[in-house]
Amino acid sequence: MNGIQPPTIEYGQLMPLLLVFGAAIVGVLIEAFAPRYLRKAIHVPLTMLTLLGAFGLVIVQVLRDGVPTAAVAMGAIAVDGPSLFIWGVILVLSVVSVLLINDDDNFVASAAAVPGSPDEEEAIARGGAHTEVYPLALFAIGGMMLFAASNDLLIMFVGLEVMSLPLYLLCGLARRRRLLSQESSVKYFLLGAFSSAFFLYGMAMIYGYAGTVDLGGINDALGRVGGQDTLLYLGTALLGVGLFFKIGAAPFQAWKPDVYQGAPTPITALMASGTLVAAFGAVLRVFWVALGNLDWDWRPVMWGIAILTMIVGAILAITQTDIKRMLAYSSIAHAGFLLTGVIATGEATQNANSLSALLFYLLAYGITTVGAFAVVTMVRDAGGEAGHLSRWAGLGKRSPALAGIFAFFLLAFAGIPLTSGFFGKYAVFAAAVAGGALPLVVVGVVSSAIAAFFYVRVIVLMFFSEPAADGPTIAVPSAGTAAVVALAAAATVVLGVYPQPVFDLADAAASSLFVR
Amino acid sequence: MGETITFWVLAVVSVSAALGLVLSRRAVYCALMLGVVMLSLAVLYAVQDAPFLAAVQIVVYTGAVMMLFLFVLMLVGVDSSDSLVETIKGQRFWAIVAGAGFAVLLGLAVGNAVLSPPAGLLGATQTAGGNVPALAQLIFTRHVFAFEVASALLITAALAAMVLTHRERLTEKPTQRALARARFLTGGSVVLPGPGVYARHNANDMPALLPDGSVSELSVNRVIARHDVEDERFPDDPKLAEAIKQAVEEESK
Repeated sequence: MNGIQPPTIEYGQLMPLLLVFGAAIVGVLIEAFAPRYLRKAIHVPLTMLTLLGAFGLVIVQVLRDGVPTAAVAMGAIAVDGPSLFIWGVILVLSVVSVLLINDDDNFVASAAAVPGSPDEEEAIARGGAHTEVYPLALFAIGGMMLFAASNDLLIMFVGLEVMSLPLYLLCGLARRRRLLSQESSVKYFLLGAFSSAFFLYGMAMIYGYAGTVDLGGINDALGRVGGQDTLLYLGTALLGVGLFFKIGAAPFQAWKPDVYQGAPTPITALMASGTLVAAFGAVLRVFWVALGNLDWDWRPVMWGIAILTMIVGAILAITQTDIKRMLAYSSIAHAGFLLTGVIATGEATQNANSLSALLFYLLAYGITTVGAFAVVTMVRDAGGEAGHLSRWAGLGKRSPALAGIFAFFLLAFAGIPLTSGFFGKYAVFAAAVAGGALPLVVVGVVSSAIAAFFYVRVIVLMFFSEPAADGPTIAVPSAGTAAVVALAAAATVVLGVYPQPVFDLADAAASSLFVR
Repeated sequence: MGETITFWVLAVVSVSAALGLVLSRRAVYCALMLGVVMLSLAVLYAVQDAPFLAAVQIVVYTGAVMMLFLFVLMLVGVDSSDSLVETIKGQRFWAIVAGAGFAVLLGLAVGNAVLSPPAGLLGATQTAGGNVPALAQLIFTRHVFAFEVASALLITAALAAMVLTHRERLTEKPTQRALARARFLTGGSVVLPGPGVYARHNANDMPALLPDGSVSELSVNRVIARHDVEDERFPDDPKLAEAIKQAVEEESK
């Protein structure tokens, strides 16, 4: 034997991740062995307990051991302060999204039946359901956690795929307007595979430059390897394409409206919140940890992308007539706001400030987004969700409470004071000003104003126009959906009125920055 | 020296095969070109001190993945050609411009890069005691977690394939007995005459003649009859031709 040392894996620190993956595998076994009528009854508590348990483990870990200072699993995964915070955020958002997924009537009865065929009608009549949704969602959530906590490019790529593959499938499982849903799934899959290829190509270039895929190792190589800058720049650009696709930054935003519109709304909620959080975690790791000393070179490009993203998101949102497409463009604009925080690097304290602002923003935006999509699932007419904006006219007169909450979410997206969105934007923009990105902040404020226009337009439409005679009905929410809306509204208020505890938490998570 | 010669020979072969892969319109040719590209890569790996990788390239890509491609082609049909209509105007032009631009950029960039002399794999593999042990060491120590998590990907893929394609039988499969009972109950023809019975032709698309010499339309295979009508391929006997046309008309009603 030539003596390979067995690898050390810190199971304790990885427990939240392993728990989610383990529960996903158990979920697949339940699909295989449990009788059909029992499956949902087993899946729901299993999934919820897993996510809550993983969240509990994150908290226990922080309280007991504090923030770890070294990468784990042979340097593959960095369970550091930002990772733990992002894990917490992803788990909270997933719990809320899974409550939406529990709701009946969102997923197709039989995915293999041709849309509109007698087979499909029969499957619906017999109450068929795809309970595979739960393990698939758990795999996606595990992938998100892995993606945001990866400490080398290889595990980041695996995390990216583990996160994306279940989402490609889940997008195609909407119960109504199935052709649109399947189209969105195919689009997301093809474009996602393209962007993964870019990421992989970039990885190869960077490996050619640095001789390692380790993020810290790449950082070391920046000062050591000379004369091969072309490989480095090419690799950086290609990695960037892959990552910007995932956060939906312009000019790689084209998939977002189509996919958000076609996917079942609970899945849209999971994607719009969880995937964005995870993808920003990965963006920060690549650009701050691995390429942090190259910031003079990537910053101008990132400036351009941030400006383009904010403007494209805000302006195209005005022209939308579908509520889910509008929220998708708003999510693009928010990705631009978040990018201003990524650009605002500098000294260590400045970095910590930007990071803490970003972490707060991600939490605030994610939870409001899930709430907004939960409201969208409740406004229905005969053909399912009433997506067209004209159908929302006069909603405030028929259902003041729901319309009021939705208006509140929209104001939070716009960043009006006393909502969580205000403090999120304020923190990120303040960090950007301190980082010397004042022009970016000006563009950000202007596009926020443009964005506020279309949010207010929806509010005006809901409260100040006459309801249509055959307008949509408000579905009586299930306990889960009601809980989601209430929770999201409460979080938006609390983070908007008394954000200090969460700011402190984000500061504490960000203070030690990323481990290398 | 041998390495250089191999490289330049294979460079020409693999790049022209790759171009053929993109430019060829016949899907089978594309698949074969892909095979050539993969085999050239395998030889290049072997020349560069990576025999294990070369073997894996041949077994996995040239063997398994190529077979999958060919299976899909077989299922879709070798002759079916893609629609080449542009859905977005000017898409092809701009795609070619962008692709060529990227190729030029890449070529210039990599050509410009001052590549340090390649270290080769020998040094790295010898410390670990050979090519395969070196790979094993990386896979089972440094990258063990990535290797394990890839299982999640495989499970997801298997589950996804099941969800998208597996349709459960919601109703009992009708037995032959039930089918026969249904046929009697509806009062239809109990036994269909076989094609070619009492006929002058022994072909499937020829209607049968009943004992009294009249033509039995029931005996015409509807699918074949439809093709006959589409291709205007009728028997000489006008009575028989009429029967085939009738069968198709009844089908379309």
